[in-house]
Amino acid sequence: MIVCEGLTKTFGSITAIQDFNIEIPDGRIFGLLGPNGAGKTTTMRMLSCLIQPTAGSAHIDSYEIGKKEDAQKIRGMIGLLPEVPGLYETLGAYKNLDYYAQLYGIPKTQREESIKTTLTNLGLWDRRNEPVGGFSKGMKQKIAIARALIHDPKYIFLDEPTASLDPAAAKMVREYILELKSQGDTILINTHNLSEAERICDTVALVKNRTVKVGSPKELARGLFARTISITMQKIPPSLLKDISSLDFISQAQVNGNQLVLNVRNPEEDNPQVISWLMKQGLQVQFVTEEEHSLEDVYLKLIEEGGR
Amino acid sequence: MRWRNAWIVMRKDLDEFKKQKLVIGSIIAMPIVLGVVLPLVMFVPMVTIVPLERPWDVDGLLEIGALPDDARAPWTNQTMENTSFRSTVISHKILKNTHLNNCIILSCVLDNTTVVDSTIQNSSLSSSFLNNVTVIRSEGTGLDGRYVLAVSSNLAFTKTKPSEIDQVLPLMFNMVLMIFIIIPATLPTIIATYSIVGEKNNRSLEPLLATPTTDGELLAGKIFSAFIPSMASTLLAFTLGVVLLDVVLIPKVAYPLLPNLTWILSILLLAPTACLMSVLACVLVSSKVSDVRAAQQLGGFIVMPVVVLMLGVLSGFIFLSPVMIFVFAGLYGCLDIGLFYFAKAIFNRETILTKWT
Repeated sequence: MIVCEGLTKTFGSITAIQDFNIEIPDGRIFGLLGPNGAGKTTTMRMLSCLIQPTAGSAHIDSYEIGKKEDAQKIRGMIGLLPEVPGLYETLGAYKNLDYYAQLYGIPKTQREESIKTTLTNLGLWDRRNEPVGGFSKGMKQKIAIARALIHDPKYIFLDEPTASLDPAAAKMVREYILELKSQGDTILINTHNLSEAERICDTVALVKNRTVKVGSPKELARGLFARTISITMQKIPPSLLKDISSLDFISQAQVNGNQLVLNVRNPEEDNPQVISWLMKQGLQVQFVTEEEHSLEDVYLKLIEEGGR
Repeated sequence: MRWRNAWIVMRKDLDEFKKQKLVIGSIIAMPIVLGVVLPLVMFVPMVTIVPLERPWDVDGLLEIGALPDDARAPWTNQTMENTSFRSTVISHKILKNTHLNNCIILSCVLDNTTVVDSTIQNSSLSSSFLNNVTVIRSEGTGLDGRYVLAVSSNLAFTKTKPSEIDQVLPLMFNMVLMIFIIIPATLPTIIATYSIVGEKNNRSLEPLLATPTTDGELLAGKIFSAFIPSMASTLLAFTLGVVLLDVVLIPKVAYPLLPNLTWILSILLLAPTACLMSVLACVLVSSKVSDVRAAQQLGGFIVMPVVVLMLGVLSGFIFLSPVMIFVFAGLYGCLDIGLFYFAKAIFNRETILTKWT
């Protein structure tokens, strides 16, 4: 489990992150969302024992971030994918992975087998000795992800894991992340890709130099926005909008073509009443759907509010 | 300190180094130019211009020649030892360990004697030093001296002052030897200054620092990866230089002069400690700056302790004897240890990752 309490980092007069509080249970995928300069990478670096917190505390299992004697243990438990792949461009993919596997103390036969499997899965086994400098961005990113996972870490920190990947490769990485989760790994992701975060993260924290909001994407949306239903009808009379607005459980109504869009308190209870009311008016209802707010809506609203 | 991790870091750096053909080229070329080509350029003309015959090395010797057939050993009847004569005529004496100044020596036997401003006639000399002396109808062996006028005498000068080549060789050897100390102190500035700041600029440092490798292991790996190619290249040039210098000088001196004890001790003790000092300083600089060029500029100052030694040797203040080599190697060794712990103490992952100015 990762727990951050009041985690703060300042660089001189600049506060990168302040009073950051999160709790990531084991086996979960946690997303850090926020604009550039929000302190996401700084937070990840603090959790990787690369930089020291200025204030507050963070624990990974029983080990404390910033405590010199715990740093080595923590580094052994985590796998870090930084913003930039940072591969050794003149070396081949095999040597890049082998170097890290050796530093993590993986026995020779095990690392040979593991690297072979990884590179074969990435379709790079035949090109294992080619300098990675000649590879595409996506290829490099895949190798960097493989490098972060080479020692089978319990905690995986991924800074923009799909940033430079094509859609197919990004999908592959997302599926791989979900597979890692199913194996019980705990994953912390920094991302700008909101749809990705929505798809794979159990919990997200919106960050803008502090914790703006933490929750599952759905929880955040529901907490922020009224629930909206969309009713498709054959015909919408002009007076309907005025009449239906008088119902007390409807906070907002509008018409889009042949769709009536209503903000309601609780669709499970309110929908039957709305449909019954419409039928009494002699109108024919074709479809009723609930419109969900995307994480992007949540992000934009919260980050805007958080910036004020 | 887990030396295995240092070894892994070193091997990776060497793997990367092997791909840098131009850097390898300069690492090999520089010692060969300075340690092989330059000395040859210095020595070959000297060997060519200085005559092959060893010069007669008794200044002012005007004449030598064989004794006439009727010359005989002088008759003597008294031995005089451990004494000194001035303005005296001495005849029919055996003179041992004496000092004669402004004397006329007739029919004497001189052994281990110094004769100055005098004339010797019908005498037999051995192991003596003559200065401004006229020797007539006499014979002598094992002599040394200057300004000797030998008339109808047979004198053999065996103990002579050094020839020109003998005088100049030690100085030139010292110069060349200093090149082999300067080279391993200079080469690391090419490799070691890049070691940490280069990884930082390539963004490969962050994932490396996130591994359980300790600061000491990382530094040790970086140090050895710069030390090994620098010393290997120096040793290659040293071997080549020694062989070629011997080949050039053998016609002149008749036997291989190099490597002598001073050279062997220098290359085994002084060069590695100087190299290590330079590597450590470069790695230290590399961990404190954010630009490879700045690291290389600062790296230029790092060879200063070695330059001081070089200036001392070339100006004659320091003579590179085996004892002096032990002294300097010990000094450099202590500096090396101090620098390592200093570099380790100031190695700060946060500063390295976050400071860009």
